[in-house]
Amino acid sequence: MSTEFHNLQELRHSVSVATKVFIQRDYSQGTTCRFQTKFPSELDSRIERTLLEDTVKTLNSYYAEAEKMGGQSYMEGCLACATAYLIFLCMETRYEKMLKKISGYIQEQNEKIYAPRGLLLTDPIERGMRVIEVSVFEDRGSSGSSHSSSVSSGGISQR
Amino acid sequence: MPGFSSGGLGGEVGGPASSSPRRFHPSRYVPVSAATTFLVASTTLFFCFTCPWLSEHVSSVVPIYNAVVFLFTLANFCMATFMDPGVFPRAEEDEDKEDDFRAPLYKTVDIKGIQVRMKWCSSCRFYRPPRCSHCSVCDNCVEDFDHHCPWVNNCIGRRNYRHFFLFLLSLTIHIMGVFGFGLLYVLHHQHQLDRVHSAVTMATMCVAGLFFIPVAGLTGFHMVLVARGRTTNEQVTGKFRGGVNPFTNGCLRNISHVLCSAQAPRYVGRWRGKQTAEVQPPFLRPPLSEAQLEAKVLDNGIQNDCHSTRSKSSLEQMESQSADAEPPPPPKPELRYPGLPRADTEESSLLSDGPPTPSMYKYRPAYSSPQMNHTALTHPNKMIRGDSLDSPSILQSSCQPSYRSEPSTLDGGSIIGVGVHTGGRERGEGPGGTSGTGGGVSGGISGYSLGGRSYTSYPSSLVLSTGGSLSSSMRSAHTHHNTLGTLQSEGTTDTSYKSLANQTPRNGSLSYDSLLTPSESPEFESAAHELSPQKPHTSAAFPPVTTFSLPAPGVGDAPLQGYTSPFLSAQMAQQREGQLLQGSASFSSPHRAYLRAISPPLPTPPPHTAHPETPHLLHQDTRHPHLRASSSRPLPPVSEQPSPSSPRACSPDPPVSPPPRGPSLGQSLSYTREAGLQHKARPMGGGGLSGGGGIRGTQAPQSTSRPGLANHSTSKPGGGVKKVTGVGGTTYEISV
Repeated sequence: MSTEFHNLQELRHSVSVATKVFIQRDYSQGTTCRFQTKFPSELDSRIERTLLEDTVKTLNSYYAEAEKMGGQSYMEGCLACATAYLIFLCMETRYEKMLKKISGYIQEQNEKIYAPRGLLLTDPIERGMRVIEVSVFEDRGSSGSSHSSSVSSGGISQR
Repeated sequence: MPGFSSGGLGGEVGGPASSSPRRFHPSRYVPVSAATTFLVASTTLFFCFTCPWLSEHVSSVVPIYNAVVFLFTLANFCMATFMDPGVFPRAEEDEDKEDDFRAPLYKTVDIKGIQVRMKWCSSCRFYRPPRCSHCSVCDNCVEDFDHHCPWVNNCIGRRNYRHFFLFLLSLTIHIMGVFGFGLLYVLHHQHQLDRVHSAVTMATMCVAGLFFIPVAGLTGFHMVLVARGRTTNEQVTGKFRGGVNPFTNGCLRNISHVLCSAQAPRYVGRWRGKQTAEVQPPFLRPPLSEAQLEAKVLDNGIQNDCHSTRSKSSLEQMESQSADAEPPPPPKPELRYPGLPRADTEESSLLSDGPPTPSMYKYRPAYSSPQMNHTALTHPNKMIRGDSLDSPSILQSSCQPSYRSEPSTLDGGSIIGVGVHTGGRERGEGPGGTSGTGGGVSGGISGYSLGGRSYTSYPSSLVLSTGGSLSSSMRSAHTHHNTLGTLQSEGTTDTSYKSLANQTPRNGSLSYDSLLTPSESPEFESAAHELSPQKPHTSAAFPPVTTFSLPAPGVGDAPLQGYTSPFLSAQMAQQREGQLLQGSASFSSPHRAYLRAISPPLPTPPPHTAHPETPHLLHQDTRHPHLRASSSRPLPPVSEQPSPSSPRACSPDPPVSPPPRGPSLGQSLSYTREAGLQHKARPMGGGGLSGGGGIRGTQAPQSTSRPGLANHSTSKPGGGVKKVTGVGGTTYEISV
């Protein structure tokens, strides 16, 4: 029992990021926020295409909605002007709300889909919306390994 | 809390720092303090001395109206001053896993059918998104960079452009109101002009009248920009002159985008929630498809995606094959992820995705494929099979980590990399690529044709484009790799070039220095970082190197159709680079920004590489004479460097013959010819070498048209920078 626990801890600490794959922005339609849905070849052996593509497409739709120039953004702008932008102290803009939603979505996707496959998505906002960073963890198998690689900064979570 | 961050002070809050801690520059606060003082003081005096009478004798609405306008002006002024303009956080190390000197300087993306270049920012360590520019005053890359405004002491970018624009509008209206009502007061008190109230009113009117002209001019200018969907940076650098602006959606949509779009989020200083997803083995794996299984079998165990290019796999095979032939080089010092085959770095994914980059490469080793495992780095020889001894030296020199820290953009240098890359890649591709890249030396091979072939065969055909000819020239230059030995680094001082120049070119062609004239035209947007350290020695000895793509003088004004062809766009992009340099984004950036960039010497080469990249690049340049000799292509007559038609009003530089637009081979030839005539060349031989995308960190890009911008003290004396005052008192520094 205690031995098993010890092995698990070793396992946990031994997971490290092998490499990072970057999904770039898709600028074909201008500077609106869109990410390429092209599947990176390095992930071919790690995750099914459709899963990643669905994730990216969903993210794209969220970003498109956040940047949409509609009635709400216009009203926000007028309200902000009218209050000399003091409204920003109290209110969260629509974009920020969408970003929170996106962050929650990414977190959920990580937990459900990517972490079990040894991958981790990083919220693109942390990279200035330039890339979606996919951290690929080393697949060591189940027994403790002799690797001494350090824990990467890619967001490995320790319980 | 809204995303306020002081543009002037180093306000960094958490997250990746947007810039290093800034020193306090009191001089930067003078304009903004003066503007604030004038605005607040004049308006206060107006309210105190003029408005009481107005409210009594005209209407009580008058003070209220003026108060509202004033508050609106002040609010927008504060937002423009304190709001983060859209600063990109520095890229993390992992994004730049690949040694940056091996990566191209530019990457091209296709925006609505128009090719737009993305340049590598050596400070921020990423390829700048479209419309992004690096402000040397703030030392940040700013999204949708408009300009750096000294009056608010902040960059104007995506997030605060609307506030800046509204500030200008409201300030114009406010000035008109103050002036108008003051005039009304004075006209009614003509017999009482000796009173304090009248005197103050007249003083206020004077201030208002004085500021009205520049402010209104600037407002009009920005109204035009908004209607056209351009930024100040693009307008001043003439990016879309005669071409198509891919960022415009029509006048009405542009206006509504500026005024009504959602407030963009901050990138720096965000509160980062802890992402806690547990990652523990064993990991799920997707079932392999048949094709993947086949690919695995065929590759003898080398992990190879069926989607990877033939060149990549063949290159890898070549690597393994050639490993037996030569002793293994010293291991690469940095090896972050030894486990898996080198997968994408940020750049490599860009490489594989975008269309071939038509512009130059700083340096482009043969195996620029990101999938190159580390052995490739240490076994440069293997990559260029067909090339003889030359490639190793070239590639080795490309491995200089010293270039990492160098300012990036040397258009000329980039070509070299292209050439090398093309060469190696094509060799590896075998059927796909051109065989006998050395044939390029024979002078028949047009760069484009070479590029075209590799284009089709290799997705990350960034190498292609104009670099093609350079690649051939580079191959021919391979034989002279020894000459590179003397060079310290790409950005070395005159001595390095001179040492190269002193060496007799094997083929008796023009000395290399002619090709390697360091660029004197700093890139304004990245001036501080990308200026070639060689600027100091932009002596007359080095003829200016017009990038091969430099079009004829008229070209800059000719309707460019935006960036219609990749090659054309590369050329134009280069010219734009030059123009961009001239019309620096940070208009008010002091000269020291350039000097700062110039001063740091290149770091010493890493121990495991014998030669810095520069030698390698220079080396290739020496081949150009050879190439030139063999080619019978006529060179265009030397002509005046085309002055950018932008308002920069750069004085014409020493005659620089723009290379023909044809195949890059011809261009390289023209470069070599020109070498002697021009005194400005990019370091690393922008002209001849042009092609190597690799050395990102090295010299300042030499935009083709930059005639010695010399703002750099060490460069030609008196060349200097010309200050042009734009509308509204903004000062543009244009190197002359």
